[in-house]
Amino acid sequence: MLARELFDIRSALRNQGIIFAYSGYVTEAVLSGVGDAIRQKLLFDDADTKTTRSVFAVFVEQMQNMIRYSAETGRAGAAAPSPNGIRYGVLTIGQENGEYVIHAGNLVQRSDVERLRLKLTRIRDMNKEELRALYKEQLRGDPGEGSKGAGSASWRLPGAHQSQLNSILLMWTTSTRSSH
Amino acid sequence: MQNLAIPASARTPAIDFDFSKNHLKLSGESYPEDVTEFYKPLFSALDSYLAELGPGRSCRVDFELVYINSSSAKAVMMLMDKLDAAASNGAAVDVYWFYDEEDDTMQELGEEFGEDLENANFHLEKMSA
Repeated sequence: MLARELFDIRSALRNQGIIFAYSGYVTEAVLSGVGDAIRQKLLFDDADTKTTRSVFAVFVEQMQNMIRYSAETGRAGAAAPSPNGIRYGVLTIGQENGEYVIHAGNLVQRSDVERLRLKLTRIRDMNKEELRALYKEQLRGDPGEGSKGAGSASWRLPGAHQSQLNSILLMWTTSTRSSH
Repeated sequence: MQNLAIPASARTPAIDFDFSKNHLKLSGESYPEDVTEFYKPLFSALDSYLAELGPGRSCRVDFELVYINSSSAKAVMMLMDKLDAAASNGAAVDVYWFYDEEDDTMQELGEEFGEDLENANFHLEKMSA
């Protein structure tokens, strides 16, 4: 890619206030590395502790969601994601009107869309108290479909259960922050 | 039984389980790559220790966690359940949840866990500066 094109990508991102943009294989090692960079950046920005914590928490949950559940894996044309495959995801962190904004996205199976839409809509429309109650319920967790039962491995929350937990935590964390 | 001491790593908390002094402590951050891998040995050690804790015995557990991801929160919930079960067997169990004064999230999380403890004694405390 020519320097000009690369520069244009950078400018496009900057103009939208994006300070971090990652698109590619998402692994725990990437999380560690990007996480450290984010921390340093927030420190450098003199962001207050509450903000730093919220941004970091949201980043970790979103990244881990993608690492575990992105349906887009490296194998072109694969009908279903390989459980051991590496996953693709996109994550950006930016600033808009003095606030930090994080966007994270990954492909999901078409067959999961409706189920996810229902769950997320329900969560999105909840107030802080409802979120808190739901989070607690999820934390106790009846294992969802695909769980391994009552053994010690079962609490690695399966699929949608984990991402629902993450979504609830995100909403709760950000609603906690914005209430001040 | 053997005390359990694990130094903190970039993404896991410091573990200081002093079984001989009946004082257990978790401190730092928790967002490990593999939550099961990290917490399983803790659960095993704790299970062995708590099995011997009955009426007349007491134990104190300090949580000084600065950040935990949702998988870790689940693990903490399981730790709390084990402690509460030990307390229901007659042992005096005191759980201390320390939070940074400016951290509403950890304060609220502490309150959540505290609400669920029926037999263990729960103390919500600010971290000293």
